[in-house]
Amino acid sequence: MSGRRTGQVLLMLAGLIAWAVQFTVIYGVTSTLCGRGWADATLFGFGIVPATIVSATLITFAATAVAVIWSIKSHRQNAKRPAATTDGFMSHVAILINGLSLVVILWHGISALILPACA
Amino acid sequence: MQSALDPAGGDASRIYWLTMTMTVGGILIFLSVTSLLLYAIFAPPERRAWLGSRRTIIYGGLAFPIITLSALLPYGLIVMRDSDVPKAGALPIEVIGEQYWWRVRYPADGDRVAFSTANEIIVPVGRPIAVSVTAADVIHSFWIPNFGGKIDMIPGRINRLNFTAERPGIYRGVCAEFCGDQHARMAFDVIALEPAAFETWRTEQAKPAQDPEVPLLARGRELFRAGGCGSCHAVRGTEANGQFGPDLTHVGSRRTIGAGQFPNNIGTLAGWIANTQHIKPGVRMPSYGSLTGEDLRALAGYLESLR
Repeated sequence: MSGRRTGQVLLMLAGLIAWAVQFTVIYGVTSTLCGRGWADATLFGFGIVPATIVSATLITFAATAVAVIWSIKSHRQNAKRPAATTDGFMSHVAILINGLSLVVILWHGISALILPACA
Repeated sequence: MQSALDPAGGDASRIYWLTMTMTVGGILIFLSVTSLLLYAIFAPPERRAWLGSRRTIIYGGLAFPIITLSALLPYGLIVMRDSDVPKAGALPIEVIGEQYWWRVRYPADGDRVAFSTANEIIVPVGRPIAVSVTAADVIHSFWIPNFGGKIDMIPGRINRLNFTAERPGIYRGVCAEFCGDQHARMAFDVIALEPAAFETWRTEQAKPAQDPEVPLLARGRELFRAGGCGSCHAVRGTEANGQFGPDLTHVGSRRTIGAGQFPNNIGTLAGWIANTQHIKPGVRMPSYGSLTGEDLRALAGYLESLR
């Protein structure tokens, strides 16, 4: 697979990778703190669990938003080229996957924030 | 009759409105989609063309579901978060599911002594209730639809359910997990009383049974003793101390017998004693059909007098 194609695949999967990172960070930190009885621990006055959820959500959301913007740019460039069918398809799918990943990351962050961490 | 559509507590009310929102919303969406489907089939091609446009698919197929689900998700999660929350000062009650009845225990609370009853849970209005449930034989499920969700009763495990009755009344609870032949006949009453009335009830329930003064009832008590009823049933204040069946110390004060099967009176008590296996086949209590009519009246009268 050429370097350009690898980049396209990575861009296509960027949102899903960001979601996986958010999922792993939130559940890893939350279950570790709950397991050790530190669910209410604070750092600089902020609860570690909610701070982790909010920061993981914001960072992965921002990263996915960047991926969406790149996907749109890439799609516009591909649209100008007459015979780039595969490239056009991949950039189109990248927009959809990354766009939906934005929604999923937000839903996941909201759920983790609303529900009790150690229930 | 139990009904989740007549909420009498905060949790049940939240679940009710979530259900209503989703049901009404689901119906409206279903009708809209069906109408569009019919329109797509029967409308002239030039009029239905917009249905296949990119904009329709993006707004109707992507944006609308995302917005709708984005609103429903936090709503549902907040309902879940705010339901079944343990509260300080809650009244502890223990309920044990058994084939096919409910053992109900009120643990000692301050200077109030512990006691047991059956098939009836009395609660004070406005005070949080913390119910601990388990099962003695098979898996049951404890559900009072008017007060909230259900919870499994699993042998060897204690689960907890919290609710608060917001208005006085008589509500019905049921077993919500198939537990055997008579599963459908395993109900109980939840009676929500004003706090003062609840305290009076609790004080009365903690007292031992009164000795009968009428000769017929004294004969009933003697039949109860001689018949070995006390090896399965307890009547506090007498030598009957069985733990296998329901505590009968104040059985006469209960609304129903047979776990919600009949109103509690001398006639139904007599019928129950004489023919349990006809009324509720499979219950652990055998039928005492060999009792004479007079003995049956005396025995049922004695039980009915235990108030």
